[in-house]
Amino acid sequence: MEFPNHHRQIVEDLMSGKFILPQERTYPVLKDNEQSYTYFFKASFNYDLKITQDFVYLVSDESNETLSRDICIFIAILSYEIDREGKNFMELIQFSEFEIDEIENYFTNSSYIDLILSNKQLKDTDSRKNFINTLNRRNIIEKTSDNRFMFTSAHKFFMDFAVDIVKFENAEQN
Amino acid sequence: MMKAEPRTILRFLLEYFEIINELYEIQSKDSVITFEALNEIITKHKTDIKQQLIDYKILNSVNDNFEIRTVYYNLIEFILSEFKPMLPETIEKYHVSIAELFRKIKDNINGDKIILNQRLTDLAGEIRAFYEMVEKNTISLLNETRELKANVKKIDYREKIVRASRWIDEYIIPLNKILDINHSASIANKLYDISEFSNKHRLVCDDENTRVLFEKLYFQMIQVNDNLLRQSKILTTELLPLIERIRTESIILTGWITFLKNPYKQKVPKIFEGKRTNIYSKNTFFNASELFEQFKNDTAVYFEEEINTDEKWIFDKEFFTEKLKSNLPVTDFFKWCNKTLKEEYKKVEIEKFFALTTLAFDEDIQRDFGKKPEFDKIKINDLTLTVPKITITKYGIS
Repeated sequence: MEFPNHHRQIVEDLMSGKFILPQERTYPVLKDNEQSYTYFFKASFNYDLKITQDFVYLVSDESNETLSRDICIFIAILSYEIDREGKNFMELIQFSEFEIDEIENYFTNSSYIDLILSNKQLKDTDSRKNFINTLNRRNIIEKTSDNRFMFTSAHKFFMDFAVDIVKFENAEQN
Repeated sequence: MMKAEPRTILRFLLEYFEIINELYEIQSKDSVITFEALNEIITKHKTDIKQQLIDYKILNSVNDNFEIRTVYYNLIEFILSEFKPMLPETIEKYHVSIAELFRKIKDNINGDKIILNQRLTDLAGEIRAFYEMVEKNTISLLNETRELKANVKKIDYREKIVRASRWIDEYIIPLNKILDINHSASIANKLYDISEFSNKHRLVCDDENTRVLFEKLYFQMIQVNDNLLRQSKILTTELLPLIERIRTESIILTGWITFLKNPYKQKVPKIFEGKRTNIYSKNTFFNASELFEQFKNDTAVYFEEEINTDEKWIFDKEFFTEKLKSNLPVTDFFKWCNKTLKEEYKKVEIEKFFALTTLAFDEDIQRDFGKKPEFDKIKINDLTLTVPKITITKYGIS
């Protein structure tokens, strides 16, 4: 039985919860073998494979809900604070490099401080550092040095969720 | 009848521009200037110019209220570059007038020259008015969009979404349709036809006045078409992406603010729970047994040490050199090697054969390869070697 190139890395990355990004060598393999990989993950583990133009990821019933919620809170507060400063949050998140100190500044001075303090992964500098490393492991951000990082295209997964909230609300109102 | 000289009116406009500007702003906002609003402004500036405003036909009374006459309103709007975006339906009316005039010009090209010339002048006027309206609209849409982007008025995100959507759906997309030359029903397409028609008739028309008018129209069309293309580009490359971005941005931020109101009650997107094989996982037992199963092999395996009974052969160069010397001259060196080995060991081995052939490289040996290269075949066990015929005539100075 023959498997496509980088098969082992594809399975390992996706099974460890990583988003596979278009610039990775495994992305075109997944894209070219979309049907067989979708079938492979469904038949082997009952997981759904999602391939978009910005990332590839796996979905299972056992979701890491806490992490997902904390990521949403993190990005939501960051977007809100950047916008409050009068800057374009979408452009910054999409194209700019962030310094950890900058993030610290946004979080320590945020009006959502009660929410931040009550969240285990975001409550203080050390927790936030660990949290940023988790985001790095998942390919949601890419660390460019010890104290700098950039968001990858996987951040759009969470931005889409914010759009869905509004859509859902509007649908409910109608 | 105007109750003043033109210069007096212009001087009046200059002197009281501040009041007129305030009246303009009220009318822009409320569409009308109420009697009270007019009195308030006059009292504020301590100058009663109400009568002059009416005498110079700057203000027009509408029931008990007032409005600035269109000609003055347009003038102030133009001076201030403060245009209000117009619904594209308003601009569409030019489509009808331009198309109708053009049709009549085409149908009566050989008819009454005076009427034809008047129609050409009117057509040029309508095209100018159309273009000015498009330009005003693009400028006003750009201003409105930039203002929305900067959000100076601190508009709520939801309101921003509504406004951005309205600009896109009601103004920008329909305006772009009007300017789309590839759309057969667009005004831009009609203007292209007029341009072609005027280009032809500016050369062939027999009446000189008409020719001049066609020439004028043709050059006006070149400029208008260029300008419209530029306006269309502004709409598609700058305005539309900018306003789309405002809309998306506002939607996302609205979503996040809604989420942050109660983040623990919202359903969040599913992200994958990472799977790792830890030593304490439920699969440990099976993984370990699988590993140990590999060592459960009952058959004993013995390795016998290979005993080498043959003594290691060492090439005795001196011995064979002496043998070669005693056989000189040797007519075929490789055959001699084969024969010598057979004599010494009864059986020729490849290793021994190659060792012996190294004698041919001895510096003291004098070799002769013959005038023409000749080759022999020598069989050693299963191997057949093709070797050159070399004659050894001398060794050293002997």
